[in-house]
Amino acid sequence: MATIGSIGLRIREQRLARGIRQAHLAAEVGISASYLNLIEHDRRPIGGRLLLQLAESLDLDPAGLSSGVDDDLLGRLRSAGAAQGLPPSSLATADELARRNPDWAQVIAAQSATIAAQARTIEALSDRLTHDPALAEAMHELLSTVSVVRSTASILAQTPEIDPNWLGRFHANLDADSRRLADGAEAVVGYLDRAAARGDDRLTPSEMVARFLDGHGHRFPTLEAEGPSAIPDIVSEITEPQARAMAAALLQGDAEDAARLPLDVVTATPEPDALLPLVAGEAAVVLRRLGVVDAARGLVVADASGAMIRRKPVAGFALPVIGAGCPLWPLYEALSQPGRPLVRVIEMPDGAQWVAHAVADLRQASAFGAAQGLHATMLLTRAVRSGSATPVGPGCRVCPREGCAARREPSILPA
Amino acid sequence: MSDSTKAYPNGPVAAPRRVLLIEDEANIATAIAFILGRAGWRVSTHSDGATALDAIVRHAPDVVVLDVMLPGRSGFDVLAAIREGDRPDLPVMMLTAKGQTKDRERAEALGVSRFMTKPFSNQDLLDAVDGLIAPGRAVDDGR
Repeated sequence: MATIGSIGLRIREQRLARGIRQAHLAAEVGISASYLNLIEHDRRPIGGRLLLQLAESLDLDPAGLSSGVDDDLLGRLRSAGAAQGLPPSSLATADELARRNPDWAQVIAAQSATIAAQARTIEALSDRLTHDPALAEAMHELLSTVSVVRSTASILAQTPEIDPNWLGRFHANLDADSRRLADGAEAVVGYLDRAAARGDDRLTPSEMVARFLDGHGHRFPTLEAEGPSAIPDIVSEITEPQARAMAAALLQGDAEDAARLPLDVVTATPEPDALLPLVAGEAAVVLRRLGVVDAARGLVVADASGAMIRRKPVAGFALPVIGAGCPLWPLYEALSQPGRPLVRVIEMPDGAQWVAHAVADLRQASAFGAAQGLHATMLLTRAVRSGSATPVGPGCRVCPREGCAARREPSILPA
Repeated sequence: MSDSTKAYPNGPVAAPRRVLLIEDEANIATAIAFILGRAGWRVSTHSDGATALDAIVRHAPDVVVLDVMLPGRSGFDVLAAIREGDRPDLPVMMLTAKGQTKDRERAEALGVSRFMTKPFSNQDLLDAVDGLIAPGRAVDDGR
């Protein structure tokens, strides 16, 4: 459904204001009336050339159609509201809030992101708490501050008519507590750094590889430019030999994918379906390549046991650092149907919807009769909200969904 | 000693229920006081554990919301003193960021009416405090 001020609604308003029929405008820009109808109801994304054409046909500056509230901010505000349990009728007013108080809308969105990040930190650290009083104390301080920020941000979000004196006080408190939150997070990181320096940080080789990949955003320009010959230099920063070998093997795979789907091809045609014919239908190559190249997409690869062997996170889709993912992810559905490419629309607990492409593929056999590995690959692309989507989560330990039939363990998040 | 009673916006003014919030974090006290005050509670705040019992006598609250970590005297000690004092049945909800089993067990052994871990949603807090004077109230937040 179109929300107040959405780009689809603005197109519709401008068209109606000019007395232009939907079919007429659609014909002018070379699309069907039904497709324009979907755009006007925000059921299809719009941008680029088509947006320019529509603006021209409506005799508008393109910015006039797209200059409402920043879509990213709107999405983050709605996510913040959904996380606080606001009803859909309230979420629909996010646009109005952002337009009237853009700075404070940014603050609320940023605080919500901070709280989500802290939840992930809590997950990563919870196992240490029982045995580490110093860390427990630091986390206690952090949770207290998160609590203040959450309560204050909720008051601001849910109290439209608030006395200016209270508004000023809460703004000041938010400012002070967000600084305190940053200081607290810094203290925890500092503590962990000191623990690592003492040798307490016992990372496994796969964890070292994951840290290395995350540090580079999973993308290596010299690998794109020079191919496999660049690998030794790239992985030289990893000191642990097993981890270095694992990273080199992984980058060898990335280089082979890059040779089959060069960067310019993927950049020009970032749609999975369009790339499939270029690699003889090998969907896993397409998904890995798009996941590595596009910073706005997430990528997860799991082996036949379901263990995640590669995680490339993307803003808004939390991937668990410890433990398995959500059993409802299409990644695991693909594992049960090797060779069949799947595409599903899924919805995270914050209300954000994602298109998940997934496929499971058998690894090349080394000999007749030898065991053959099976890998599942899932590509995550942020979707425009539509009516139906499969509810999923980030993994049971950090998932707030209650009553989920697929839950295998309790959440560590507060109910 | 630092305590205060303030009027918070939008709350009913006739015969309000009284809550004493014993919390040394000024900003969380402000937020909680606003939430409860808006819902019709008459909110008094106090920030010191050592003088918390005096504040209870002075404000005569219907309900106490008590932080665990307080200067002067811990929330556990304050709770124990309440249960041994003149108003042993006074409903007390404890707040803590730790949420550890031992804290919960200790509070329950001392006779806490409800136990809530931070962070919490504003609505959950309000429901919990309302529930303290409602029949069939729960003992903890189930976490």
